[in-house]
Amino acid sequence: MSLDVTPAIARRGLADRVLRRGPLEAIATTIIAAGVVMLMQPFSLTLYSWSFATTLFGTVMFTIVSKVRE
Amino acid sequence: MTSATTAHSVVEPSATTRRFAGSLVVLYAVITMIPLVWIMLTAFKSPDDAISYPPKVLFRPSLEGFCNLFTTRSRQTPEFIRSLGPPQGMCDSIARDRNMVVAGPSNYVPRFINSLIIAFGSTVLAVALGTLSAYGFSRFRVPLKDDLLFFILSTRMMPPIAVAIPIYLMYRTIGLSDTRLGMILLYTSVNVSLAVWLLKGFIDEIPREYEEAAMIDGYTRFQAFVKVVLPQATTGIAATAIFCLIFAWNEYAFAVLLTSGNAQTAPPFIPIIIGEGGQDWPAVAAGTTLFLVPIVVFTVLLRKHLLRGITFGAVRK
Amino acid sequence: MNELSASSRITYRAVMVRPSVARRVRGLSDKTLAWLFITPTIVLLLAINIFPLLWTIYLSFTNYRANRANVPTIWLGADWYQSILTDPDIWAAMQVTAHFVIWTVVIETVLGFGLAYLIDKKFRGHGMWTTIILLPMMLSPAVVGNFWTFLYQPQIGLFNYVVAFFTGRAASSFQMLGDVTLSPWAIVIVDAWMWTPYVMLICLAGLRSIPDYIYEAAEVDRASKWRQFWSITLPMALPFIMLAVLFRGIENFKMFDMVNLLTGGGPGSTTEVASITLKRAAFESWRTGYSSAFAIILFVTVFGLANIYVKALNRVKSR
Repeated sequence: MSLDVTPAIARRGLADRVLRRGPLEAIATTIIAAGVVMLMQPFSLTLYSWSFATTLFGTVMFTIVSKVRE
Repeated sequence: MTSATTAHSVVEPSATTRRFAGSLVVLYAVITMIPLVWIMLTAFKSPDDAISYPPKVLFRPSLEGFCNLFTTRSRQTPEFIRSLGPPQGMCDSIARDRNMVVAGPSNYVPRFINSLIIAFGSTVLAVALGTLSAYGFSRFRVPLKDDLLFFILSTRMMPPIAVAIPIYLMYRTIGLSDTRLGMILLYTSVNVSLAVWLLKGFIDEIPREYEEAAMIDGYTRFQAFVKVVLPQATTGIAATAIFCLIFAWNEYAFAVLLTSGNAQTAPPFIPIIIGEGGQDWPAVAAGTTLFLVPIVVFTVLLRKHLLRGITFGAVRK
Repeated sequence: MNELSASSRITYRAVMVRPSVARRVRGLSDKTLAWLFITPTIVLLLAINIFPLLWTIYLSFTNYRANRANVPTIWLGADWYQSILTDPDIWAAMQVTAHFVIWTVVIETVLGFGLAYLIDKKFRGHGMWTTIILLPMMLSPAVVGNFWTFLYQPQIGLFNYVVAFFTGRAASSFQMLGDVTLSPWAIVIVDAWMWTPYVMLICLAGLRSIPDYIYEAAEVDRASKWRQFWSITLPMALPFIMLAVLFRGIENFKMFDMVNLLTGGGPGSTTEVASITLKRAAFESWRTGYSSAFAIILFVTVFGLANIYVKALNRVKSR
């Protein structure tokens, strides 16, 4: 774990702005939630068709993002 | 937290509020108990009382439900029954009143025993494995700890039917389908995740200093684990074991899809207890009652730990 | 260690071997011990959960049928996924699931939070009544669900009798399980009956985690009870409510046992929640490849929600 410290400091400038875990995690959570809603909504078959891809994308994103150090 | 509340009178609810809150909760509790009480009442009804309209609250208790649960019967002519000797036991005489003869024991007892063996087997395994891993996760620096813990938890979240398809194929290939061993392994794998999470919480609460002191006294790490940590964690292990037991006892989806005879447990069996002309409700109720009683006892025993159990150890009250 | 010295007296060889074994056991580094403790669990989960999961993923791309194992397996690519995700029938099953999930979660949250709020008033005997209320959730959904079919019987069932008693309609005039409009509600009622205590228990923990000094400060500021509820009680219990909602949502999304016994998906397919559809495809039509793809779709959804759930869990834990 402590090995990560040096690179983390090195990219802090970028990390602080874009790669912060909190907001990215929130985005991933929103995408997963959107996917689940799309899966079960009664309005559009097209949305339903894309629900799985959305949830999958959100889940993969969540998994990757949770590795980004706080 | 409870003691802290009583000390401050500002936030204490008034006596009227309490009485009002109490009566609403009691009302809910009474309503929620009606189905359970009804199951138990039905177990002691005769088939005619069970299906009477309006539903009977007062009735002559009868053990016919239990008799029908434990036996299989065949219908005979009155002449044939008269030709038999005196009825053997109460169930036989109840059956003869209905022109039937007890043909043999039903499958309820074997199914119940299956339930016992599978539930206890998987609980022992899950708790043993879970205690070891929980200690590992609690005390040592494990690489990817959070990921492993999440992985362990996520296996419990899987939809049972989704898992059942490949398990069915796998068990068919290696000869574990419809065996108790197969079901024990399967339930262990589901329970071990709960066991790890719950026990990690319990072990986290035991101060490390105890083991460290023991290790300074010359114990090895393993001895310290066995002689210091395990005794301290007894309550936690017992609570975890009861949770695992309840899960394995109650499980239905895997049992109905993966077992058919040999290893079938009680939950898939009770719904298919059928008498002449449809479900034999007193027998179903009797089977259900016997099946539920252990859980009621366990719930009362567990009440202090329930919250922990259902939140995977996250909320400790 | 006594054992060691005893055996060392017996043979020279033992002296040579035992200490090294003993040293190995005693000298096990924490790292080795950690892996020794954790590996069995991981191996079991890999064998019984992950390997089958990978197999399911593989099968979902093929035409495999479990009842015709001899037919050569053909690689189909994402065909099954495409057909499931464009199939209006499966879409309909998802909406049945949605109806079930949304209504159970709403009813359980409202009732559960309400009960927790009342129990938190600490009237006399609240401990005993709480335990009684908790009972249904510990029982087997299958066995109890099965018994509800008896309570729902049109002529003889207790539920119909009680409803008839209060509404004045004839008890045999409606069928909770056989009616297209009523049966989706029949399963909601049973689930709410079973799982309201679950939400209550977690909400109660949330309410008890609110420190008294916040209320005292509010009293000093002369905030009304109503204000206190909306600006202290609810926001502070919210993480706990979210936890309960997420867990019930996940559980009911994959609900199988209780619905299978109550209605089996019927009448028609009005209560055919996703798991029932999956079971029919997998274990009645034996469309293994197809149902594997459907299983993966459900699994990914649950897995995504589980991620959020664990996040909520950690948030509550840090309280």
